Amino acid sequence: MARTKGYPAPLEEKLKDTRLYSDEENPQFTKTVEKISMTIPHMCYQCGTCTASCPSAPRSSYRIRKFVRRALLGLEMEALNDPDLWLCTTCYSCTDRCPRDIAPTDVIMAMRNLAFKRDIVPVNFLKTVTAIYSSGHGVPNNDVNRAAREKLGLPRDPPTTHGYPEFIKGIQYILDYYELKKNADRIIKEREG
Amino acid sequence: MAETKKTKKETAAKKEVKKQAAPVKIKEKQQPRIGVFACHCGTNIAGSIDIEALQAAAAKIPNVAYVDNYQYMCSTPGQKKIEDAIKEHNLTGIVVAACSPRLHEPTFRTATKEGGLNPFRFEMANIREQNAWVHMHDHEGATEKAIDAVRIAVAKAALLEDLIPKKVPVEKAAMVVGAGIAGMQAALDLANAGIKTYLIEKEPSIGGRMSQLDKTFPTLDCSQCILTPKMVDVGRNENIDLMTYSEVDAVEGYIGNFDVTIRKKARGVLTPKEAEGRGLVGGGCNGCGDCEAVCPVIKPNLFEVNMKPRKAIYINHPQVVPLIYTIDFDSCVKCGLCVTACGDKKAIDLEMEDELIKVKVGTAILATGYDLFPIEKKDEWGYNKYENVVTSLEFERLICASGPTGGHLVRPSDGVTPKKVAFLLCSGSRDNTGVGKPYCSRFCCMYSIKHAHQIIEKIPGVKPYLFYMDIRAFGKAYEEFYYRIQDEGARFIRGRVANILEDPVTKNLTVMADDTLLDRPMKLDVDMVVLATAVQPTTGVDTVRKMFGVSNSMDGWMLEAHPKLNPCGTTTAGVYLAGVCQGPKDIPDTVAQAEGAASAASIPIHMGAVELEPYFAMCIEEKCAGCGMCVNLCPYSALALVEKDGRKVMQVTEAKCKGCGTCGGFCPGGAIWMQHFATPQIVAQIDAFLLGGEQ
Repeated sequence: MARTKGYPAPLEEKLKDTRLYSDEENPQFTKTVEKISMTIPHMCYQCGTCTASCPSAPRSSYRIRKFVRRALLGLEMEALNDPDLWLCTTCYSCTDRCPRDIAPTDVIMAMRNLAFKRDIVPVNFLKTVTAIYSSGHGVPNNDVNRAAREKLGLPRDPPTTHGYPEFIKGIQYILDYYELKKNADRIIKEREG
Repeated sequence: MAETKKTKKETAAKKEVKKQAAPVKIKEKQQPRIGVFACHCGTNIAGSIDIEALQAAAAKIPNVAYVDNYQYMCSTPGQKKIEDAIKEHNLTGIVVAACSPRLHEPTFRTATKEGGLNPFRFEMANIREQNAWVHMHDHEGATEKAIDAVRIAVAKAALLEDLIPKKVPVEKAAMVVGAGIAGMQAALDLANAGIKTYLIEKEPSIGGRMSQLDKTFPTLDCSQCILTPKMVDVGRNENIDLMTYSEVDAVEGYIGNFDVTIRKKARGVLTPKEAEGRGLVGGGCNGCGDCEAVCPVIKPNLFEVNMKPRKAIYINHPQVVPLIYTIDFDSCVKCGLCVTACGDKKAIDLEMEDELIKVKVGTAILATGYDLFPIEKKDEWGYNKYENVVTSLEFERLICASGPTGGHLVRPSDGVTPKKVAFLLCSGSRDNTGVGKPYCSRFCCMYSIKHAHQIIEKIPGVKPYLFYMDIRAFGKAYEEFYYRIQDEGARFIRGRVANILEDPVTKNLTVMADDTLLDRPMKLDVDMVVLATAVQPTTGVDTVRKMFGVSNSMDGWMLEAHPKLNPCGTTTAGVYLAGVCQGPKDIPDTVAQAEGAASAASIPIHMGAVELEPYFAMCIEEKCAGCGMCVNLCPYSALALVEKDGRKVMQVTEAKCKGCGTCGGFCPGGAIWMQHFATPQIVAQIDAFLLGGEQ
């Protein structure tokens, strides 16, 4: 920290080591993630089975193995601030195959929860919250779907809140109880005005 | 005999018995005088327990005549303290508060004996494993518990009696179960040490897994070439009674005197010796193979991992020892063509039946080896689903000159030589999902590197890819071998393969993995995949294991007596382990352990007699009602009812008794006296604990 190379101040600043992470470690983060996820990222031996199983990885910069590593090392802000955190499709292929019996998907879910507590969340996720609040569905039914259902001899709307809108109230109660809707609205307003 | 005399005296007056049985004279009519010695064990004990407080408290315990402590009681000066104190203070019993008796009980018994007492006048209080180590941060609590432990030990020591270990003779013969490289090596060592050795092999020929391998790492010598001389030696050695196609059927007895029943399975073919026994001089199988040529039944060849056909009458490979054909009666149709082809050698007997043979041996070595883990259970790699995914053992046969393809590596789907081959290390090993094996199978890294070398050597332009998590090149010249093969062009990719996909038309495979060092998922098209499959204990070996009274560890392998200091022994005296049955190991380690086991197994035989711990049960005949209920309870068949003075009483065969206490605990009349764990001794211990020293 205090070591200098004896260069003039501006050059010293320019040559500063900025890529080291050692003092960012937060061991509590590992414990918190393990408590929420109910799985054991500290047992990861970095074989890469998760990333290789991941349908997101070949199409994006999302590396699930990296997030499990960050959980293990307690690299809290590096994990929570990485926008890749939101690219998991929750297909659970990694969880199926992990040889150490870790559930990497649940590690991601835990990290998303912790990120949300800090208002770190993409707006499209918040819009999903709004959609669930108003319709009970993250992806509400639409006309294309309705036509397809009709073709298959199914009712136009499924027997969910679409078929029984009176139950939307219950869903709203849950979202209100955890202040999910309130926070989502607040953050969307902050970002989009 | 002497025992019965002792039993009578025992019940009449215990004090007198002491005198009667004692080899050393003990001061007459004496109050017990116990010496207590506390060990610091460096800081192992003294770090958590206040030794001074312990010593002060011990001095106040009734019957304690002397107290002392020392840094390391097990050291020579520590033992000297015990010897001197016995002589100076007329002690009648010794208590050492130290580690677990498992390690140092024999040490302190010897010291007690050197001091002039019967060695069984010693009692150990475990204040290390069961106290200091588990209560490292509770100084006061640990000290209090140590005082309790010493008080309990003193209570027992005050009532200990002189015991004389019993000597039993050892049969000058040994048995080795399994004739792979481990069993063969152990049998050869025993035989060359002049011991008659029965070598039992369930397969028709010897050599085991090693005979299926092509080359061995890191020297690359041909497996068969280095194995055949040993196989021939085994076949020729006068002291080895080789029994192939045989299994252990039953085991009775104890160290020095195991009565083993061997089931010699009906192989349908007579050896020249057996033929002679039936009066057919010059007859018996000479391995000509005329029978095989005419046999109409075709079955998959298990030795070639089902990649080659064999007949119902067969030998595994051209170099088999013994060179005797075997009929697989499960598939034989008894057409009799082979009998005709065999002609006047009359070697074939289609009506042969299993034969039970009884032998007596002094010691036994288990060398039962391993099987491959059924890797099809790991669905994502598609074994048995995709034709070009093979196990490492199949690869060994495919690359072996005597294998089904004559040593030309080809893809099973179309017989084409592969140009890109992926090797998956840790296939089923280091797997905590509950499907695979949690342990490292230990030799897969090295043989996969060897496989890479073999294809580079045989197929110009081939590219081997090794998907690994860690390369464990731990042995002599192993790391150098890894260096050499990387230099030859093998591609090492640090990532475990997530799944394999197959092109349904070309049968080419796509391997999905994460190149973790580059942090990039990769998709690799290959012609063939070799799974470095995990190993597991041989199927059905549990029956053999239980017959010999050997435990297994959590991972299913047989349990050694001590993982570091007694890796060849087991908890059953006279039974030893060699090779992979104790845990995965490569050929050098297997041979080393086999030699160790042979050496250990030869010791009791060369000594001619073994001492048995005198912990056996004794019948107090006056109290015995002769109900006989204990006889059926005894797990070791050590008890029997005998007629004595016109009534039935129980009698113990001391050599068979292990002192487990089942009978003693059950006996409704309290007529069974468990030596060294007698009821008064145990009651005194409980009292000492519950009453805190008050009488």
